[in-house]
Amino acid sequence: MPKVLIIDDSAVMRKMIQRIIQQSGFLIDEFVEAGDGKEGLEKAASSNIDLILCDWNMPNMTGIDFVKALRGSGLKSNIPVVMITTESSETRIEEAKNSGANGYLTKPFTPDQLKTKLGNYLLVK
Amino acid sequence: MALESLMESIAADIADATKTLFETMILMDLKYDDAILVDDTQIRTDVIGMVSFTGRYHGVIALFCSKKFALKIASTMLMTELTEFTNEVKDAIGEVSNMIAGNVKTKLAAQHGDMHLSIPMVIAGEGLSVTAVNNHSAVADTTLSCFSKDPWLMTPFISNNEMFNIGLLLRESTK
Ligand SMILES: [Mg+2]
Repeated sequence: MPKVLIIDDSAVMRKMIQRIIQQSGFLIDEFVEAGDGKEGLEKAASSNIDLILCDWNMPNMTGIDFVKALRGSGLKSNIPVVMITTESSETRIEEAKNSGANGYLTKPFTPDQLKTKLGNYLLVK
Repeated sequence: MALESLMESIAADIADATKTLFETMILMDLKYDDAILVDDTQIRTDVIGMVSFTGRYHGVIALFCSKKFALKIASTMLMTELTEFTNEVKDAIGEVSNMIAGNVKTKLAAQHGDMHLSIPMVIAGEGLSVTAVNNHSAVADTTLSCFSKDPWLMTPFISNNEMFNIGLLLRESTK
């Protein structure tokens, strides 16, 4: 069963995302959390992650630098990454996709929007 | 564009972004009124959630609210009734400020070039003032010192029978 890594500097946002995923009935084995891109890289390397949800604006290492580092690492570089961020300009979305992000969702979002987006990567019970 | 009219248009974007946020994630009623200029000596608040931005224009977008309202917002976001003002409540106010400022920034950047947004900063106390006294106030030292003479363009909101405000400080950056 899938393990999902949620990277966001807001603990409340990490909890909200988890709650929506659980209420959406997706099959999830475990949630792993990280508060910035650096911690995200460590968690991605040390556990078998199947999907990464990643914020953009974070201290220490931003989400875009995280994606670039992950894709450049060779190791685990094929895990799907969905950016979940307030950055909503076309330029930023392009930049994320060119850097290796698979999906993009802008904050704020409704539970349905998150559910639809994650339906491309997760199975429902 | 004159700074005043740009500030008016950003205040309208702030109201829009806040409305969208409340409709999607906070799910509480929301009403707002026209933005007005407020001298910082008139501001008294328990909680300040602020995000600064830099680019062709630089400034601050800050949410001012009571502890009671901050608790209500955090409780709604977490779907649990919080009664104590914990770090989680501060985190929720920081993320709310971040989501509002982030969406305002995207609109601003589309017209005036790329902008950088800071990580949100949250300050909580009782009856806080944001006035800089010889620039020694904790708030003034970090982001507001250069603005201490400028009035805030403040949009008043009402939700859940509580009033809160979102203010804007803006200046054109020197080249
Ligand atoms: Mg963030």
